[in-house]
Amino acid sequence: MSEKNREGKRTARERMLEERAAEEARSKRKKKLIIGGVVLAVIAAGVITGVVVQNQRSKPDTPVAHPAGTIGDKNLVIPDGPANAPSVLTVYEDPRCPACGTFEREFSSTVNQLENQGKLYGNYHIVSFIDRSLGGKGSKYGANALACAQDAGKFREYHDVMYKNQPEETSDSFGDKSTLIDLAKQVPGLDSPTFESCVNDNKYAGWVSAVQQDFDKSSYKSTPTILLNGTPIYPKNGEEQISPENLAKWVDAANAGKPLGTVTSATPAP
Amino acid sequence: MASQQTAAAPDRGSGLRRAVDGEAGEWFGLAARIGLAVVWAWAGLAKVADPAEAAQAVRAYEILPESLVKPIGYGLPFLELALALLLLIGLGTRIVAVISALLLLTFIGGISSAWARGISIDCGCFGGGGAVDSSQTEYLQEIMRDSGFLLLAAWLVYRPRTKLSADAWLSA
Repeated sequence: MSEKNREGKRTARERMLEERAAEEARSKRKKKLIIGGVVLAVIAAGVITGVVVQNQRSKPDTPVAHPAGTIGDKNLVIPDGPANAPSVLTVYEDPRCPACGTFEREFSSTVNQLENQGKLYGNYHIVSFIDRSLGGKGSKYGANALACAQDAGKFREYHDVMYKNQPEETSDSFGDKSTLIDLAKQVPGLDSPTFESCVNDNKYAGWVSAVQQDFDKSSYKSTPTILLNGTPIYPKNGEEQISPENLAKWVDAANAGKPLGTVTSATPAP
Repeated sequence: MASQQTAAAPDRGSGLRRAVDGEAGEWFGLAARIGLAVVWAWAGLAKVADPAEAAQAVRAYEILPESLVKPIGYGLPFLELALALLLLIGLGTRIVAVISALLLLTFIGGISSAWARGISIDCGCFGGGGAVDSSQTEYLQEIMRDSGFLLLAAWLVYRPRTKLSADAWLSA
């Protein structure tokens, strides 16, 4: 009897211990689940907030304001030369890109001449991605200043001055707005309170971002990208290396038998 | 005889085992946790400033459809920041380490894929990103770096109990 009793007691004790252990394991598991839930909730809340915030912060693909006379369905392109010229030169350039500076210093006089002869219509996409890899603001501020010059009808002149005074790729002097305004003084009739406030207020920041986003989505990866009537010609057109002479030759070949564009003394096209 | 053998085997590794399971292991875990937190915080912060840049870094891999480029580009830095925060306070260390490891494996896979397809991009791991000149790609370095981070994450999956963590405080 007493032995049986003791045994009963022991099993009761064991049962109690077992139950307590099970209870502890349960609460441990519950705690783990709660922690896991909190962790996932923190991550989900962070990511969702982030996507919403970044969506609001990102500039639209279609700019709200664009410089006067820009063309294309979103007004992202700055035209130069006669709109009815038989050939079109499409240029993607970053103000800070050294290869663009090399291209401009070698070819700008030829391009200007071809435009002045009514042979060529320039279409400029002023992109701004060097800032991403090197840091700084020179690409974006430089592109904005070019947009301001376009507003003033002095895009070509300012563009040429800018590339002649391009800093080393790693030095971000275009990131200093006063440098951009100083360069404008080399273009007769460009520097004005309107131009300066346009540069200082970074007026076309949204447009600059839209032009870059358009380039991001294009199949072109680097600058300068130069297309003659849609065909890449830089650094080579097929087997032929580009040179000022070859460029003029290619344009003439493409224009054979076509009437030249109407050249007016003032460049901006509608 | 048999019992001697079985007793000897764990004995031989017990020094290491004690180090891994004991205090030293937990301190090492703390270092791994903070190290990985710094990596994620740095990676996340570098991608927050310019949403278009972050989107382009994703687009440049030419893997995801255009409709996913922006959500991933915008959301990824915040996922990284959330992981950094959780690692820093040491909450849910194992699950955070698992997510970290999966994310790192995804990155390594993406970089390897870009490399294999012969496209020239910057991984955009710490900001930047997008197409670069083919002479400027650093795929091997990027993969080695991410593999190093993966080792930290793997340690924390294996031994999630660390010093000075919210997990330890909650289970006390």
